[in-house]
Amino acid sequence: MAELAASRLAGLNPAALARARFRAWVDARQPRTDTLLLTQRNVYILPTRAGWMFGLTLIVLLLASINYQLNLGYVLTFLLAGSGVVSMHLTHATLRGLTLHLKPVVPVFAGDPAVLDLVLTSPGAARFGIGLKVSGATDATLTWIDVPALGQAHAQVSFQPPSRGRQETPALGAETRFPLGLFRVWTVWRPAAQLLVYPKPERPMAPLPTARAVAGGAHPARSAGGGEVEGVRTYRRGDPLKLIAWKKAAKTLDSGGELVSRDTSASSHQQLWLDWQGCGALAPEDRLSRLTAWTLAAHRTGASYGLRLPGTEITPADGDLQRRRCLEALALWQ
Amino acid sequence: MAVSDWRRIAAAPRISWLWPGWSRLPRDARDTLFLLGVIGWTVLPHVWHLPFWCSLLTVLMLLWRAQLAISNAPLPGRWALVAVLLVAAGLTFWSFKTLLGKEPGVTLAVVLMALKTLELRARRDAFVVFFLGFFLILTHFLYSQSLPVAAAMLVSVWGLLTALVLAHMPVGQPSLRQAGRLAARTALLGAPIMALLFMLFPRIGPLWGVPQDGQARTGLSNSMRMGSVAEVAQDDSVAMRLRFEGQPPPPRAMYFRGPVLTRFDGVEWLPLASRSFSTLAPATRALRTTGTPVRYEMTIEPLRLTSVPLLEATGSAPSIEGYQVFGLADLQWRTDKPLHERVRFSAEAFIDFRHGPVERELALQDDTDLPPGYNPRTLEWAAALRSEPRYAQAEPRVIAQALMQHIRTAGFNYTLAPGEYGRDSIDEFWLDRRTGFCEHFAAAFVVVMRGAGIPARVVTGYQGVDPTPNDGYYLVRQSSAHAWAEYWQPGVGWVRADPTAAVAPDRIDRARRLVPAAGLVAGAFGNVSPQLLEQMRSGWEALNNRWNQWVLNYSRGQQLDLLKELGFSAPRWEDLALLLICALSALALVGAAWAWWDRHRIDPWTRQMERLRGALRRTGVNAPAHEPPRALAQRIERRFGASGKPLARLLLELERHRYGRAAVLRPDKALTRRFLAQARVLRSRQPAGASTT
Repeated sequence: MAELAASRLAGLNPAALARARFRAWVDARQPRTDTLLLTQRNVYILPTRAGWMFGLTLIVLLLASINYQLNLGYVLTFLLAGSGVVSMHLTHATLRGLTLHLKPVVPVFAGDPAVLDLVLTSPGAARFGIGLKVSGATDATLTWIDVPALGQAHAQVSFQPPSRGRQETPALGAETRFPLGLFRVWTVWRPAAQLLVYPKPERPMAPLPTARAVAGGAHPARSAGGGEVEGVRTYRRGDPLKLIAWKKAAKTLDSGGELVSRDTSASSHQQLWLDWQGCGALAPEDRLSRLTAWTLAAHRTGASYGLRLPGTEITPADGDLQRRRCLEALALWQ
Repeated sequence: MAVSDWRRIAAAPRISWLWPGWSRLPRDARDTLFLLGVIGWTVLPHVWHLPFWCSLLTVLMLLWRAQLAISNAPLPGRWALVAVLLVAAGLTFWSFKTLLGKEPGVTLAVVLMALKTLELRARRDAFVVFFLGFFLILTHFLYSQSLPVAAAMLVSVWGLLTALVLAHMPVGQPSLRQAGRLAARTALLGAPIMALLFMLFPRIGPLWGVPQDGQARTGLSNSMRMGSVAEVAQDDSVAMRLRFEGQPPPPRAMYFRGPVLTRFDGVEWLPLASRSFSTLAPATRALRTTGTPVRYEMTIEPLRLTSVPLLEATGSAPSIEGYQVFGLADLQWRTDKPLHERVRFSAEAFIDFRHGPVERELALQDDTDLPPGYNPRTLEWAAALRSEPRYAQAEPRVIAQALMQHIRTAGFNYTLAPGEYGRDSIDEFWLDRRTGFCEHFAAAFVVVMRGAGIPARVVTGYQGVDPTPNDGYYLVRQSSAHAWAEYWQPGVGWVRADPTAAVAPDRIDRARRLVPAAGLVAGAFGNVSPQLLEQMRSGWEALNNRWNQWVLNYSRGQQLDLLKELGFSAPRWEDLALLLICALSALALVGAAWAWWDRHRIDPWTRQMERLRGALRRTGVNAPAHEPPRALAQRIERRFGASGKPLARLLLELERHRYGRAAVLRPDKALTRRFLAQARVLRSRQPAGASTT
């Protein structure tokens, strides 16, 4: 039955089907992995345009040697031919045997380039002139590195993730033309790691919603927490100087934020809710952007904050874990 | 920063010593300057062949490019380059009256190369420069394939490959030395392929006609004018190399017969024209030999003549690969086309011989012709001699002897610089100035003989070899070029008469070459230590000879000989191609086998651990792959207690070998053996069916 369906599909567009089949075959042949050992199986080689030109030059040299009966011409031609053949092996050996490893991928915000940290390990001789890029990108984006003998080299490849959410790392390409540029050797590597892309933070940011006192009105947390949980908000014009939380303000100013005031309206136990409903009449993606910006701002102020999305609610807390939890929820919200 | 600076300085210690700015150049500028240097070196030997304007233009453009590289200025626009190219093409046409052929081609290639350096923008341009460079290297071989040229061009190839490698090392500032080493490694690894191809690639003839160059070459020619042999006498280069089987003939018999010059127009001696008596009635060749022949092997430099100067008298045509050899009636050997390459062949010569007609025949009439109105006084002198009673009825032999006697006694002088002679040159030489060299003597002798009514002719060729053989080879130099005479004696045929021997017997007997005044350096050197100079010269010539025999002279004949040695009974060039294909396939298979082996190659430490783990498993110890030796040792002790101690100790020793302070490079094989033996002991001791821990 599946074959029947396939043939019907093929009737529609055989080229597309063939391409899809080829894609599937390649994917099955090269499973996704974060550490790839380059062997004969996954390193490919073809002559470059310069390689063909070199071949043409050799033919011209050979014809001249034959016609003028130049034995030294033969020597020159064959020396170059021998070097060319050897360069083919050397070019292939530049990639073969290398181990490519992708370090854990750091999440990014949509719109920012994602940076992949790669480690190349050579088990033997030094390798020169290896170019790395996201497969399919132009040659201008190649990152060139050398790998020392029995050593490691680090390289970074950046790319622009298309949208927010959890995404596969794109296939990476490593290539080299070392030593003579007559052959291009390349490999395609599909890392297994996934990349988390947070929504793009709104800029300029709308002001943070005001924190509200917890229903019940008592101050048990304040006295018990010993000042750990403190209601703060961004500085508003007219706030008296003594209301400014200087310690925190110094930190936030340092990281490019604003002054922070103590929230006197709810002196101690207050909660900041970043709510989907509180974003006004925005499109869903714009709401996510605003919530992302708020999450970052709230984290900067050091306040305790919670996040409410349709279908998801994250109870108020603070710290890096909370920030990550909220951003992940925002990134993955459907 | 400091490290890279230091490395850069270390990379070019000599250049930075000459020019401190070198080590501070940005990488692009340094690479460009290096490439320009290599191009300059490649073009340099051409300066002698190129028109002056071309050399000047090339030097200016290379310097300009270097200046642009150092000052990091933008390259000139494309139109300027096109304009220069058009001007250069025009100048080339003006110099050679054509754009085709060798000389204009080389000129244009050099200009193109220099122009292309001004257009080095993209990688493609760089490749064009490299390939043009390889082509330029080949063009040098059109002029000379000598050892020094080969060495210079090897440096060029190395330089170009180094530049190519540099272009493919985009990271940081790789040193020239490193790139040079990588390039040399590539070429050296390619050398076996080169040797194989060189030996087995079938040599086939020219695919189409090659335009002949009108270059003047010193050496023998097909004609003789006063003074032309003197020019050759200045030329100490090697014309031929000989190796004799058995005893070489005596120096006085070392005559190599070249063109025979019969026709004399008063100024120039020429071979017989097509309209002569001998075309009506072909002359009798009639070589009559006695004794046993001398077998010899001969290597002739490209003399650009159809005449093959063989040892007198070579009876049968030698076979020269690629040429047809035929003999003329005057005992001269000719090829169907000029010798444009070095050829090697063997032949047989009879030292005792007679040739030519025994009876007087019509063709001999050519050998008595004299141009009317030239040299009247010499002819009078000859007639007067003939009219003397004792010579009136004398045989030619007697007259010849009388002339020799005259030359010996009448104050004749042998010199290489006799000066200019006028219209009646023989008169002037024979009667007035009496100084000259071989060709004056030979020509005068022939004119006097003819004046006396005796058929005679001039023979040119080489006479004499270097007294001591060099690496088994006797050398005949261009300075051994010689001219002698032959007269016809009834009942005998042609008889050789060398009047030069009468005045300068050394020249013939001891085969001493005509040595021109030595240059300043060689002179001073020769004064200090003539032996050393002679030794160096003979060593150099031995090397040169090997080079000629093994590299330059390697042709189809040698290839077929090689096949015969390899066991082919009747080799053809198809066999060569087949052998070449087989050898290349074998080489490719070796490469593939190596790659396969390389793929399955395991780190020796890993392999050792695999074996030890296998042995442990057989004793019943669970030995997971991730556990290091120390953990395995603990497992053994837990499992076997005291009886497992030796095994555990060995594992700890292995740990020290691999990770300890005095770690070694490779695993200890003895340790593996001891471990396996111990494991077997343990296995034999424990009860059957023991469970694993």
